Amino acid sequence: MSGPARAGVVVIGAGPAGLTAARELARQGLAPLVLEKDGIVGGLARTEQYKGFQFDMGGHRFFTKVDEVQKIWQDVLGADFLRRPRMSRIYYNRRFFNYPLKPFNALAGLGIGRSLLVVLSYLRWQLFPYREEHTFEQWVTNRFGRRLFETFFKTYTEKVWGIPCSELRAEWAAQRIKDLSLRSAVVSMFLKPRRTIKTLIEEFDYPRLGPGMMWRAVTEEIHRLGGAVRLHREVVGIRRTGARVDSVVVAGERGEEEVAGDHFLSSMPVTQLVLRLSPPAPEPVREAARRLSYRDFLTVCLIVDRPDPFPDNWIYVHSPEVQVGRIQNFRSWSPEMVPDPAKASLGLEYFCSEGDALWTMPDAELIRLGKEELERIGLARASEITDGCVFRVPKAYPVYDATYREHLDTVRQFVDGLENLQTIGRNGLHRYNNQDHAMLTGLLAVRNFTDGARHDLWSVNTEPEYHEEVGVTEADAAALEDQITEIFPRLDGLALGAATGAVTGALLCLATLLLVLKGGPVVGPRLGLLAQFLPGYTVTAAGSLLGLLYGFLGGFVAGWSFATLRNLALFFSLAFLRRRAQRQLLKRFLEFV
Amino acid sequence: MARDTKDLESLVLVRVVRLNAVVTGLVTGLLAGLALFVATNWLVLKGGPVVGPHLALLGQYFIGYRVSFVGSLIGFAWAFGVGFVAGTAVVWIYNWLTRLRAPAGVGRG
Repeated sequence: MSGPARAGVVVIGAGPAGLTAARELARQGLAPLVLEKDGIVGGLARTEQYKGFQFDMGGHRFFTKVDEVQKIWQDVLGADFLRRPRMSRIYYNRRFFNYPLKPFNALAGLGIGRSLLVVLSYLRWQLFPYREEHTFEQWVTNRFGRRLFETFFKTYTEKVWGIPCSELRAEWAAQRIKDLSLRSAVVSMFLKPRRTIKTLIEEFDYPRLGPGMMWRAVTEEIHRLGGAVRLHREVVGIRRTGARVDSVVVAGERGEEEVAGDHFLSSMPVTQLVLRLSPPAPEPVREAARRLSYRDFLTVCLIVDRPDPFPDNWIYVHSPEVQVGRIQNFRSWSPEMVPDPAKASLGLEYFCSEGDALWTMPDAELIRLGKEELERIGLARASEITDGCVFRVPKAYPVYDATYREHLDTVRQFVDGLENLQTIGRNGLHRYNNQDHAMLTGLLAVRNFTDGARHDLWSVNTEPEYHEEVGVTEADAAALEDQITEIFPRLDGLALGAATGAVTGALLCLATLLLVLKGGPVVGPRLGLLAQFLPGYTVTAAGSLLGLLYGFLGGFVAGWSFATLRNLALFFSLAFLRRRAQRQLLKRFLEFV
Repeated sequence: MARDTKDLESLVLVRVVRLNAVVTGLVTGLLAGLALFVATNWLVLKGGPVVGPHLALLGQYFIGYRVSFVGSLIGFAWAFGVGFVAGTAVVWIYNWLTRLRAPAGVGRG
């Protein structure tokens, strides 16, 4: 190996985060070098191709609350976006349920008896919830009851994550599902949904040829602007001097080479990054990295010899008797994903772990398994499947198990100490970010580097999901939340009672004294009628003192009652709002899994 | 659920709201002023041999007030003033008492 090649900024990984960062750098004339270990761009949002059929790995709807990301999408693809209707269902117990859940459809599917049990279970867990919420199972059960949890959430979640819900951290749900917070519910009460935003729940934008179309276009733009994206280049070593990264060792088709750089942005799994450092990271950090784990999936792509086996974009498969977790119908995503109008292409997603039985199963067997399960579910006959292929997606989901937080903190502390390296993207941050948030981490990392900004990339993806439904800006919501915090705390009944009493007593005392001072043959005959209600009261100097006392007592009762009733009403209305937010979540829960 | 309930409790049951004295004064002043304005004109419109003899007694406190349209305007001004002072005073005392009653570090809404 001769002297290392040199690049100003080296970006590791050509997924949404890496390419977005590289595009931004290229637009600023910084000519980044992007190193991608696969032979295709897009990372977890890539679109694979087989005989002209396009296969989206996971199904990526293009919807974001981040204006900058939306602008990039429009700038890059613009007219190549299609507005697609959304349809999805759940398959469970040999029945299909609409998803998002609809009460009557769910009732019809479950039957009266089971529906009743669901309601009773819900009430039981509302009245006697788990006191502490450590696990995902506890988190969901407390909100929806055990029956609903077991019917609609347990099997699918366990298929996706490969561990029992009782071992999945509640924190994972808390990060993915933000719209349950009381504060969010209250904000949504004040900000009514805009119809145009709401329709995005029922429709979505999608590139004609899948998300890979976006990333191919971004790659072309990077090249055009003087940057470079190199495929089949895996970073197998990161060389550093103390806290400064000097270069990366890249394994490619022609052996290894060293690439030096001034600044590094890494979207490779942070665990690999730590383990590939030279000199090595301290052993506790390496051990923490080894303990962080991922969930992987593979897609069995099947070509069906009829145009429309079913109308859905995708179907969640909860039934435990089949291993498939989700089925994509790519024509419903975009007709241009399927080159032959007489055929359909389906993607059967199997969630697994690298090295397990599913992951290592030969492609031919996986295709056979896919055919069998498709027929068992009743979506197509095995004889209708004319062709198929398999794509494996390693490290698709960072796992939030019981100890991940502690290990991630150790890794993060070390990585943050590397002065010219930033980690970005889902796997770079070991955070379950969607495509748009991954892109945002890339953008912010570039600003940290070029503008000296201090964005905390680890905290991207903190804004509540309710924004998706109500369509408000961050600034609107933040301002409103501040106001709400000032408005909604309780009134102090004793203080309000005492204050009202003091003022009422003072007014009655002054009114009495004023008439006494004015004098006359009969002093205050009408005000004196108050004696009918206030025994002993007279329009005299002494009576004014008694009036002060009576006024205080009456005012106190009025003020205290007002505060108490107001607090009660507030409590119940907030509890109602929280229930409403929970119902909204129940309808769309699986999208967060 | 447990966490949400804690949120709810911390927001509604633990923290105490502080009120804005000027805003409350304006509201109570406007309500009092409008009430007297409407009540006066209601009696004026009803008419009769003696218009609003009892309401007219307010004239003992509100100088210049009488049960007529012009009187309703004067009454509005007086009632607004008294309502404003009363409302502001209630809130001022309320805020003062909540400050006294709140333990250190707690109580700000």
